[in-house]
Amino acid sequence: MPSPQQISRRTILAGVSAAALTTGAAGCSSSSGREPVRFLLSKPEAIPYFRDLVATFNSSQKDVEVVLDSSSNLQAGFLRGNPPDLGLLNYNMEMARFMARGALSDLKDMPEAGRILPEVQKLVNNLAAYPGRTSVLPYSVMAASVIYNKKIFADNAVEVPETWDDFIAVCEKLKTAGITPIYATFKDAWTVSQGLFDYTVGGMVDVAGFYDQLRKEGTNVGPTSKVSFSKDLAEPVSRMEMLAAKYTNQDAASRGYGDGNLAFSKGEGAMYFQGPWSLGEIAKSGPDLELGTFPLPMTDDPASRKVRVNIDLAAWIPEDSTRKQAARSFLSYLFQPDVMNAYNAAQLGYGTTTDAAPVTDPRILGMKPYFDEARFYQGASQAIPLTIPTENYLQGIVTGAGVEPTLQTLDADWARLALRQ
Amino acid sequence: MATTTATRVDTPRAPRPDDAPRKRRKVEPIYYLFLLPALVLFSLAITLPAIMGIFYSFTNSIGFGEWDFVGLINYQAMFSDPAIWQSYLFTFGFAAATVVVVNVIAFLLAVGLTARIRMKSGLRAIFVIPMVISGIIIAYVFNYLFSNSVPKLGNSLDIGWLSESVLANPDLAWVAIVIVTAWQAIPGTLLIYIAGLLSIPEDVYEAADLDGASKLQALLRITLPLVSGYVVINIILGFKGFLNAYDIIVGLTNGGPGTSTRSIAMTIVTGFTGGDYAYQMANATFFFLITIVLSLVQLRATRGRSTL
Repeated sequence: MPSPQQISRRTILAGVSAAALTTGAAGCSSSSGREPVRFLLSKPEAIPYFRDLVATFNSSQKDVEVVLDSSSNLQAGFLRGNPPDLGLLNYNMEMARFMARGALSDLKDMPEAGRILPEVQKLVNNLAAYPGRTSVLPYSVMAASVIYNKKIFADNAVEVPETWDDFIAVCEKLKTAGITPIYATFKDAWTVSQGLFDYTVGGMVDVAGFYDQLRKEGTNVGPTSKVSFSKDLAEPVSRMEMLAAKYTNQDAASRGYGDGNLAFSKGEGAMYFQGPWSLGEIAKSGPDLELGTFPLPMTDDPASRKVRVNIDLAAWIPEDSTRKQAARSFLSYLFQPDVMNAYNAAQLGYGTTTDAAPVTDPRILGMKPYFDEARFYQGASQAIPLTIPTENYLQGIVTGAGVEPTLQTLDADWARLALRQ
Repeated sequence: MATTTATRVDTPRAPRPDDAPRKRRKVEPIYYLFLLPALVLFSLAITLPAIMGIFYSFTNSIGFGEWDFVGLINYQAMFSDPAIWQSYLFTFGFAAATVVVVNVIAFLLAVGLTARIRMKSGLRAIFVIPMVISGIIIAYVFNYLFSNSVPKLGNSLDIGWLSESVLANPDLAWVAIVIVTAWQAIPGTLLIYIAGLLSIPEDVYEAADLDGASKLQALLRITLPLVSGYVVINIILGFKGFLNAYDIIVGLTNGGPGTSTRSIAMTIVTGFTGGDYAYQMANATFFFLITIVLSLVQLRATRGRSTL
C-alpha cells in the first residue's frame, strides 16, 4: 500500500492536470475577433426563419457575430446578471416585470424608436411602464380573432355574424347540421385563456380601463369593491362557459394545441378560436384550406367589434448587457423596413412602424380595418401577474368548475398579491 | 487486541486520542480529503441556496432588483392562501395513496421474483427498466396513452367510463398520476424488497413447512415480520420522495384540469418563475420544516433495528 507521502503528491498532480484540462477546454470559445451578441428568440414558429436571418447578417459584415439562443431561461439570466444581449420576445407580464424594475435599457435615442406607431407603443404601457424610458420596441403585432373555414360556412349557407345573437344562430345552425361549431383544445390551458376567454371578455369589457381600476383597488378587490373579476367579468365568462359547454367538440378536454391544428386542418370544426401563429401550423396539414377571420361579436352593436392584439415580438436590450452597441447594430438591421416587412408577411403579423407594408394575406385581411382604426384590445388574461394561475382557473371553468367561485378565487388571489407586493 | 481492551477497561479516565494506536492517526487526513469534494459541492449546491432561500422568505424580493425586509408577512399570507393549502392536501393525499400502491405491488412482485421461477434474472431486469427512464418522458408518453389510446380502446369495447380521458376529469386525474408515479417508483422499491427477502434464511421456511403452515400463512406470519425493517424504510423514504412530485405531474396534467392536481413543488416553481420569489421561498421553508420532521420520524423508526 503506498505511503501517505506518495498519495498526497499523486493527488496534487491529479488536481493540477484536471484544472489545466478544464481551463484549456474553456478557452475553446470563438476567438475570431468578432464581438459576440447573444440573441434570444424562443417563438417556436419563427426559429427557422430567424436562423436564416442571423446567418445572413453574420455573413454580411465582419464586426458582430450574432448567436441565436432559443432555450435559455430568461428569469435565470436576469437573476444571474447575464441576460442575453438582445431579446426579441413576446411582450407580456413577464417582460413587463423586468421593465418595471429597470432591467431593460433605454432605446429612446435610436432612430427606430421614432418610427413606431403611437397606438402600438401605447399597448406597451398598458401592462407596465418605467417612466422616462422606452424599454421595448414592438416588432410585430399579432391580431387574433375567430378563424373560420370559408368552405364550411359556404356549404351551410352561413354568413359571418355581426352581433352576438347572429353568432349564436350560426352556432345553432352548424350544430344541427352535425358540424362542430367551435373546435376547442382544453388540455392546453393557454388556448382557453388566449381564445375563449380573451375574445369573450375583450368584446364586452374595456380591458385597459378595467385593469387600471383594478390596480387602484389593490387589496380592496373583493365582493364589496367597485370593480372586481366577479362583478365585471361575470357576464362574458358565463357566456364563455356556455359556448364551451354547448358548441365545442366532445373530446375538447383531451385535445391539445397540436391536435387542434390538425383537426381543424382536416375540417373537423367550423371555427377555431386561435391566433395567426396557428395558421402556419394548420397550413402544414391543410395547405388548400380557405380560411378567414372575423372578430367575435359580443353585443348587438356591430360597431363595437374589436380584435385582440398582442405584441408578439418586441426588441429590448438589458441594462446588464456588456455589448449594447453591437446589439444595437443587429437591432437596427432587424428593424430595416424590408426585413420587418418580410418577417411580418411570412409570420402573418401586423407591422408596428409607420412605414410598415400593409398586410395582404387573405387569411388575416379581415382584421386589417380593425387594426388600422385602432379598434383593438389586449387580452384580459395577459394583464394578470403570472403568479396567479389564470390559465388553470379558466381551464377549470371549461371543464366543469363554477364561474362564480372561480372568479371569486381570482379576486382573492389579486387582493392577496396586492398585499404582498 | 485482548491487551488493548484490557488496558482500556483498567484505566478509570476516558480514552484520549493519545491512547489510540499510533497507526490510525496517520490515515485520518486522507479521509477528510475524500470527503472534501462532496462536502464542498453539497454545501454550494444545496445548503447555501437553502439558507439564502430562507433568508429571502423574510423579504419581498422578486429574485432581482431592489427588495426590503417585510418580516413575517409572507408567512401570514401563505397560511391564509387556499391554493397553497389545496396543494398540500393534494400532495399528501397523493403521496399516501402512491406509497400504498407502490409497496403492495412491489412486495408481491418481490415475493414472486424470489420464488423458484424460470427466467428470474431476465424478469428482474425487465421490471427494473421503468426506473432508468426520465420521469418527464414517461409522463408525456402516458399523457398520449391516456388522452388518445385508452379512450379509443374504451370506445371500441363500448366501456363508458373508459371512453373519456381520465386526465380531463378533475376528480379522477389524480388516479392517472398515481398510476404513472407508481409505475416509475416500483422498481426501486422492488429492489429493496428483493434484498430483504433474500436475507431471510431458508431454514425458517423449512421449519414453518414442517409445522404445517400454508404458503399464505408463511407469507403473513414469517416473511412480513422479518422484512418489517425494509417495509418501514420503503414507506418513509417513498412518502418523502412522493411529496416532491413534480416532473410527472407537469408532463401529465400540468396541474390541471383547473388546479386540481397542483403539487407543492409545482406551486413553488410556478410561483417563483412568475415573480413571486420571496413568497414561494416562505412556502418552501415551511415544506422544508415538514420534511425535517418526517426525516426525524424516519430516524426514530429505524433506530435499534438489527436487520437494516
